[in-house]
Amino acid sequence: MKFLIQFVAILFSAHLLALFMPWYSIAIAAFIMGFLLKSNTNFLAGFSAIATLWIFNALLIDAGSSSDLSERVANLLMVKYEIVLFVAMAAIGGLVGGLAALTGALLRK
Amino acid sequence: MHVFKFIISFCVTLALIYFLDNRWVIKGNPIPPLGKFMDPFNGFWRNIEPSNAKGPELLTLPQLQDNVTVSFDSLMVPHVFANNDLDLYYAQGYITAKYRLWQMEFQTHAAAGRVSEIIGAGRNDALLNYDRGQRRLGMVYAAKRSVAALSENQESLIMIEKYTEGINSYIKSLTYKTLPFEYKLLDYTPEPWTTLKSALLLKYMAQTLNIGDKDMEMTNALKLYGPQIVDLLYPDREDVGSPIVDNNGGWKFKINLPDSLPMAVPQELIAVKRLSEHDPNIGSNNWAVSGNKTASGSPILCGDPHLNLNLPSLWYIIQLNAPGVNTMGASLPGTPSIVIGCNDSIAWSLTNAQRDLVDWCKITYQDGSRSKYLLDNQWIDTQKVVEIFNVRDRDPFADTVLYTYWGPVTYDRNYMPDNNHSEYAFRWISHDPSSDATAFYKINRALNYKDFNDALDYFAAPAQNFVYASTSGDIAMRIQGKYPIRRPLEGKFVIDGTKKGNGWNAFIPNEQNIQEKNPARGFVSSANQYPVDATYPYYITATSFEAYRNRRINHQLADMNQITPRDMMTLQNDNFNLKADESLPYLLQQLDSTTLNPEEKRAYSALKEWDRINDKDSEGASYYEAWWENLMPMVWDEMENSKAILKRPTAFTTIKLLKERPTLSFFDIQGTLEIETAREVIRKAFSLSVEDIEEWSADHNGAPAYWGDYKDSYMQHLARIEPLGIHVRAGGNANAVNAHSKLKGPSWRMVVSLEKTGVKMWGVYPGGQSGNAGSEYYANMLDPWVNGEYFQMQFFQYPEDALKHTFFTTQLNKQK
Repeated sequence: MKFLIQFVAILFSAHLLALFMPWYSIAIAAFIMGFLLKSNTNFLAGFSAIATLWIFNALLIDAGSSSDLSERVANLLMVKYEIVLFVAMAAIGGLVGGLAALTGALLRK
Repeated sequence: MHVFKFIISFCVTLALIYFLDNRWVIKGNPIPPLGKFMDPFNGFWRNIEPSNAKGPELLTLPQLQDNVTVSFDSLMVPHVFANNDLDLYYAQGYITAKYRLWQMEFQTHAAAGRVSEIIGAGRNDALLNYDRGQRRLGMVYAAKRSVAALSENQESLIMIEKYTEGINSYIKSLTYKTLPFEYKLLDYTPEPWTTLKSALLLKYMAQTLNIGDKDMEMTNALKLYGPQIVDLLYPDREDVGSPIVDNNGGWKFKINLPDSLPMAVPQELIAVKRLSEHDPNIGSNNWAVSGNKTASGSPILCGDPHLNLNLPSLWYIIQLNAPGVNTMGASLPGTPSIVIGCNDSIAWSLTNAQRDLVDWCKITYQDGSRSKYLLDNQWIDTQKVVEIFNVRDRDPFADTVLYTYWGPVTYDRNYMPDNNHSEYAFRWISHDPSSDATAFYKINRALNYKDFNDALDYFAAPAQNFVYASTSGDIAMRIQGKYPIRRPLEGKFVIDGTKKGNGWNAFIPNEQNIQEKNPARGFVSSANQYPVDATYPYYITATSFEAYRNRRINHQLADMNQITPRDMMTLQNDNFNLKADESLPYLLQQLDSTTLNPEEKRAYSALKEWDRINDKDSEGASYYEAWWENLMPMVWDEMENSKAILKRPTAFTTIKLLKERPTLSFFDIQGTLEIETAREVIRKAFSLSVEDIEEWSADHNGAPAYWGDYKDSYMQHLARIEPLGIHVRAGGNANAVNAHSKLKGPSWRMVVSLEKTGVKMWGVYPGGQSGNAGSEYYANMLDPWVNGEYFQMQFFQYPEDALKHTFFTTQLNKQK
């Protein structure tokens, strides 16, 4: 339950901050929610919240367009399939979110 | 312990963020800032536009004098309605930047020799050397001089300044989220636009079109082979016929031809790696037919400039309407006004006018310090210009370029030291100040032939064949540029740079430039061929003249009557290969069909049955082109293998010599025991070409080499970013009217019917109105273009008409 609350809190606060802040605002959101809502699975909560947030938004953009730019970017970054691009993106955001949530939780005794 | 864990975790997080927020070069491969780039809220995802996305309804732009309405039609062509010129060009700048900013800026960087600032030095310093070459050709020097000339004409100065303001106002509105894709990928930001950048773009076009020459190659040929062979291999005028203007005996002016120029053939052969070769696949068609040859009774004007087919596309289609002007057509992103198009009264299009407008002047230095050089018996100071290159991921690089009376010393010991120190100064017509932008400002407003002609007087370079037609029924052609009066053979070889008198001392007066109006044959046309009949008084030479497309066009036009716009579209897409038609029967005669192996027999019969049309599904076309590609280097192998630079004769001359002089010593292949004649070279090239096709086929799962597949045309991304390019399967080739070779071709096909009830325009180009690879308008016109389809352009009189046909409208409002 604690995990779920933390997950949702990170997801929403990160979304909110992202609307007017640079990409690393995900770390700020995860850090604060790691601190305030410390659980046993801080890293997992931060990781999965940001990964979910990013995948969801990227999918939304991709589905609403007839453009194949995401495939071209996959080729550019030398990952063969678009799905790998999504996984890589989720891992990048997730890692930052997870570590930030963990750091926030560690600040609290 | 707990604090320690926190500190570690905190540092790791920060380090990771730092890593993902910056660009890295790992083993020579640049990696974009991954976190920033992948973030779906601000990163590249934001460049993926939703289907049917509309632009903003209202923008408030404080620099406007009055409100401007911009209506976009279903092709995303903007129709700009302004109440004055200032706002018109401001809006053109703003809207063009909104859709094409990255391309505009990148092209100015490519012109100015600044690509290595963005991309780095490149493999083996290739990009840095490209940049150095651009500076050494004097591109920035030329652009600066043309900015200075601009201020002489108030109207065009204001036009460029307002256009610049419009672009800058768009640039200021950008955030990382709204930055064009390429900036995010390559991790940099746009700098403010300047009038210099607009001038650089025009010089970049000039570089594509009129920087070609063969002076060094001809000088070497003269030394190696003597004057008779030079005349045989490189005649100034090939026996082709069909010049642009045939006014035999009708040139009503006399000139005093200056004396011939003393030649300065140097002691040693010149071996430089040339920067400035003209690509023969660059060229264009344009023509106009008079009303008595058309079904409607009104003239029809057509144009298709053949240029590099890049993505984002070279041209941006736009309509510009303000009191005193209503014009539409292709604009060059980064420069104001319409370059090729129509207004309510006239239409015009351009092809490149082939003419030698380059000289290489041999400099005599006083000593090794090169600080003084000889000019008219005096030692003059060279001017040393230090060019700085802020190469990405590396320390800045400095290059010293010497400038002389003639221009910059392009090749010297500082640059490509293996270039046997050929210290020639570069004289180029585009180094001269000129205000070509003024010409387009005035053409856009021209109501009749007189206005058009007056406008052309402002146009100096790159020299163009301007075709013209009007609703009042006139058709005309004028070859306009600033042309030095050449002495016989002047410009063909390098010249002695110790005397000013050897340079360009006078220019052909504009009224004596080649032109014709309403000729008896009922049409005017140009396709980069030799410009004029033999009675034109001035000496003309050029790198090469087109020999086939133009004759096909003229032949077709002469035969046609009751012409409709549809007929003109068919002609623009004509894939008939006149070169093959004239050479293939002879080439096939040289083969003894009894000595052919099975693959060669198959090729032989494919060629025999071939209809000489380079359609995408033709196998014969592939066999012919492969044969030709093998034949040329084999015939002229002594030139390929020479250390001194030489130039192959043209296809037309090669075919003529193969037919008429089959035992010419050049046909002997070097390094073989036997003495080859035309017959053997043709046979050997045939075998190699069949091997090439077989190899291609084996690489493609045994598929037949259909021309569209074998040619493999490719729309290259401007920055050579492979996944952003698009391959297409298409017919045509450089010598066909549809001059679509692998990387170059018709960059904008336009047909205009000049009806009294209203001018109608059809057009298409290989790309789309958006420069954004994430937009559905990035390449939406590409397939229709390949298939020879056209779109009728919406050319409106009033903003109310535009609103009716509009996809969406963006209102640009001045501040309240």
